Amino acid sequence: MNVLYVHSHYGMTEPLVGEAVAAGKVRLVRERELSARHFAEAAGLITTIHLDQIGFLRHAACVQALLDRGGRWVFNGHMLRALVPGLGAYVPLAKPRRADYALTRLVEHPVFAGIDQRTLEENRGVAGFYGRGHNPLPPDATAINGLGPGLLPIDWDWALPGGGRILSHAGNEFWGSGDDDATKQLLADRAVAWASKEIG
Amino acid sequence: MSVLAIHPGAFYHIESFEAPRYASHFDLLVRPEELHNARLEDFAVVLIPCRTPADRMVEHAARLSAYLDQGGTLIVTGENDFELYLPGIKFTPQETDWWWWRTPGADLGVRIAAPQHPLFNRLAQRDLTWHLHGWFDVPDGAEVLAVNESGKPILYIDEVTTKGRMVLTSLDPFYHHGSHFMPATTRFLDGFLPWMREELDVRQTARPRRSRPTMAG
Repeated sequence: MNVLYVHSHYGMTEPLVGEAVAAGKVRLVRERELSARHFAEAAGLITTIHLDQIGFLRHAACVQALLDRGGRWVFNGHMLRALVPGLGAYVPLAKPRRADYALTRLVEHPVFAGIDQRTLEENRGVAGFYGRGHNPLPPDATAINGLGPGLLPIDWDWALPGGGRILSHAGNEFWGSGDDDATKQLLADRAVAWASKEIG
Repeated sequence: MSVLAIHPGAFYHIESFEAPRYASHFDLLVRPEELHNARLEDFAVVLIPCRTPADRMVEHAARLSAYLDQGGTLIVTGENDFELYLPGIKFTPQETDWWWWRTPGADLGVRIAAPQHPLFNRLAQRDLTWHLHGWFDVPDGAEVLAVNESGKPILYIDEVTTKGRMVLTSLDPFYHHGSHFMPATTRFLDGFLPWMREELDVRQTARPRRSRPTMAG
């Protein structure tokens, strides 16, 4: 089974998963064309910041079924709809300063293993691209990376009772930050590998 | 009701339309897929925000043209592929310099072209200055409000292509504001949306304003 990558915006490609698409590991589907079959045939799910969260609610049962059979979902962005019971609404930083964008690895995680999280703090010397807030940590979820001195859970991994997992990143796709193209590709590859349960 | 906004549902749209800061500026939020159920002619203004996927709008091209031809006002902001579903638009994308502001004293080149226009009682040049995404070849008779570094239009009002009015810009304020990302975009909306209400929403009546828009469907 491959990973269902929900393509929500118009007219642009997804270059960092291009090879995974070509290799058959990722199935890229326009969000407006999603059907129950796409979810049923997927091992995991990747969504981007452009996800139509209102429209995606109509697939809630399919997403829940995927999670209940042990499937995984990589979510990027600000959660502003309760797409799964237990998810809260995104909390932005209030008037952030540079120190509030500091990133701290809280636990090791296979997606981020071996990557110095601090190298993702800045793009060309400018901080804030990785994320500027957090999606609330569900009970029993594990915070992976902390934001700012309060170590707000900007990335977390939630193992649901049914066996599925959600990896939440409260910002633009986490494979887009930093200045090192190899690291970006590595993170994109690991997102696919994690969603398909090849790693961790 | 007088301002209808298309609601494509990404988090930056949700934040822009539903959060308290701007919610009172919109009366009805309509999903692109439900636009065929809306009586557009009941609204003085229809707004299509940044990054509305064009493939969710092309089926409504004829309805939008009909809305304009009965005198409606359409506002469309940037990163939108609007030429695929709106009449008379000639748009040329330009490469975006995301980092221009890192050079001390740098000037992106945005200029207000019609300083006498009422919109600029509310907006200064710095409130239009964040990124450039492209420019328009505007029809004769259109009113150019702002231009890029080459003097090409990036914000204009077209009352000649149709019997109605199109306010078009390649600026993308909803995307950035709704991402909590760029203060200039919030300043832009702080000026633009009240201007929309007071100057473009000409059919508004004395009925009480809602604090939140209604969601169709």
